[in-house]
Amino acid sequence: MRIAVLLSAGRHSVSGRPAPVPVELQALRLAVDLANQCGGQSGCDVTGLHAGPELGPLADTLGHGLGHLVHLRTEGAADPAPALAAALEAGGYDLILAGRAGQGGEDAGLLPYTLARGLAWPILADAAGLAPGEAPGTLSVEQALGRGARRRLVVRLPALVTVHPAAPPPLPFAFAGLRRGRVEMREAPPAPAVAPEVEERAYRPRPKLIAKAAAGASALERLRAATEAASGGGRLLVDPAPDEAAREILAHLRALGLPTR
Amino acid sequence: MSRPRKDPRAARAAHLVPGGARPRFDLAALPAASGRPRRDPRAEERLALVPGTLRRRLDRAQRAPALAAAAPASAETVDAAPRLRVIAEPAYLVALVPDAPGGRLSAHDRQLFGAARLLADAGGGAVLAFVEQPGEEFGPAGADRVLALPVSGYDPEAKALALNAALAALDLRHVLFPETADGGDLARRLAALSGEPFFAGAESLSPKAVTRAARGRRVEQRRAPPRLISLAPDAVAPHAGTLHEGLPVALAFPQPTGGAIVSAEFIPADPAKVSLAEADFVVSAGNGVSDLEAFRALAAALRATPGASRMLCDAGLMPRAAQVGASGTVLDARVYLALGIAGAPQHLQGVAKCEHVIAVNTDLHAAMIERAGLAIVADAQKVMPALLALLQQERAS
Ligand SMILES: Cc1cc2nc3c(=O)[nH]c(=O)nc-3n(C[C@H](O)[C@H](O)[C@H](O)COP(=O)(O)OP(=O)(O)OC[C@H]3O[C@@H](n4cnc5c(N)ncnc54)[C@H](O)[C@@H]3O)c2cc1C
Ligand SMILES: Nc1ncnc2c1ncn2[C@@H]1O[C@H](COP(=O)(O)O)[C@@H](O)[C@H]1O
Repeated sequence: MRIAVLLSAGRHSVSGRPAPVPVELQALRLAVDLANQCGGQSGCDVTGLHAGPELGPLADTLGHGLGHLVHLRTEGAADPAPALAAALEAGGYDLILAGRAGQGGEDAGLLPYTLARGLAWPILADAAGLAPGEAPGTLSVEQALGRGARRRLVVRLPALVTVHPAAPPPLPFAFAGLRRGRVEMREAPPAPAVAPEVEERAYRPRPKLIAKAAAGASALERLRAATEAASGGGRLLVDPAPDEAAREILAHLRALGLPTR
Repeated sequence: MSRPRKDPRAARAAHLVPGGARPRFDLAALPAASGRPRRDPRAEERLALVPGTLRRRLDRAQRAPALAAAAPASAETVDAAPRLRVIAEPAYLVALVPDAPGGRLSAHDRQLFGAARLLADAGGGAVLAFVEQPGEEFGPAGADRVLALPVSGYDPEAKALALNAALAALDLRHVLFPETADGGDLARRLAALSGEPFFAGAESLSPKAVTRAARGRRVEQRRAPPRLISLAPDAVAPHAGTLHEGLPVALAFPQPTGGAIVSAEFIPADPAKVSLAEADFVVSAGNGVSDLEAFRALAAALRATPGASRMLCDAGLMPRAAQVGASGTVLDARVYLALGIAGAPQHLQGVAKCEHVIAVNTDLHAAMIERAGLAIVADAQKVMPALLALLQQERAS
């Protein structure tokens, strides 16, 4: 199985310095694990792809288990999508892994979707685990949903899969891997620059919505909204028999749609 | 000084009830006004009392003459019951695609309705909800029209194709999605499919501008609301105040074709592994629970994540990771079952976001009982085995 991992130029979440994006390193780990599972067959490899003006700290990804990194050099503000789409089409990959969203760029998570549409491949989002499918040419994807739930999907290859932060952590950095790995630089054909249609200013955290208190309500009302029953004065049972109390609780839980069995 | 001296005899004589053989005095009656009126502090206080508040509140400024205001205020509260608003001929449509897991709206979905109403009400538009199963819930939540999507099972690509057809056929000014696992995925699919401008994870929204964080949360991007928007959680207040009709409408969708997904299987979260902050259903024990074995068995039988108050964690009876509250974990759970917890403010802060609370406590006046939607005043040591027995009995039958 030939696997491509898309690596974007990120910024560290605290220091703001150029750094690989953690979720893309997790995608790299999933790819390496999957390649190891195909048991030394030929044609089973992992390639990293980056489109951008320079590689910068992405060379470090070689130390996280990547053997071969392809750098598609583009002009400064050029759209990376055409260069990546051309390289992916030419590469003959079976599986493309990308991060759920970048960190340090637009961070919209839209690029994998436009690539998948361009290649006319299916795309699956938020993988937390990958395994070869039972039938040949399929892949079993464990998709992370909210609140710890998962969905197991089986998809026919080729496919593009984005990876969720709930995936296993990246492989530890090894200097020998960095020395062993190979970086290949290719010039990408010139592409039009993306025209910014948004106005940018320094980020200001916005206060999140607090409970159900209306804006401008008094302190007493805000406290009450935070501490009182959400659905208006609830039901009160005083000294019921234990059996009756148990039945009431269970009926209430069932009415809320909880699978309690 | 200039104040006339009070003559007690004359004052008493003023209370004389005329007639009858013996002289009778009605001391309770107000004497006929004589000169300077007397202040009655109690009557003034009664006038200044603001009705309808839990705690006694006096409005000495008398901005609203209390007596006059009292009657219309109660009339207003009757009026304030949600009123049906019909938008027969909307100027445009604002569509939204709630996740509605299992056919119920989540809190995030309700915020999405709030955002859609914000955009629609700015120019006489109507809100159209794309749902999987039409239900009663959408009208009161703020939908004027409801359109059922022809999708079964997990097939986001077919859903995106159907939405793309609707985008072309209907005059939709905006389509809103929740920025969740499924909603965000669908929004990006539609953006790639239709080529429409897309604004991911809007953190504030108004008819004039939307904003989001970018470049690793270092800059804020702002623009006029584009056609496709996904909304971050807790960014916009849910809709309240008016009911809407939730009129079902129909649209001819293209036939869905088989996708590349061979099979999809939902795997529910394992409550023992889920972290407390992520859990959907938490059962929590406080100082009123002495039988912790029964408590752990109950949490496992209910498939809930176990939590505890600080008392139990301090005593070493439960791990610190299980502590719910201000100095423990602030829950994001939908349902919270509190056994023997008094409901100290530090604890209640941890459950402020829980939609449904059930409390079992021996004290009728515990704050937890007041907070709960279902409050049971009973001994937790007796209720826990009863619940366990009931669950076992149901499993056996
Ligand atoms: C800075 C600070 C931070 C704190 N942070 C937290 C925090 O994060 N989380 C937290 O939980 N606390 C926190 N606390 C502690 C908090 O103030 C309370 O002391 C604590 O929550 C009380 O726990 P409790 O309700 O279990 O115990 P208690 O206050 O002892 O209440 C026990 C309750 O159980 C009931 N009961 C007794 N017997 C039974 C029975 N047989 N059946 C049913 N009910 C019974 C009683 O009526 C009573 O209501 C904090 C305190 C401080 C000062
Ligand atoms: N210039 C790039 N080169 C390679 N991969 C990229 C590039 N930009 C984005 N990606 C991939 O697309 C994912 C989503 O990026 P974004 O749409 O920018 O949030 C990232 O996690 C990367 O895997």
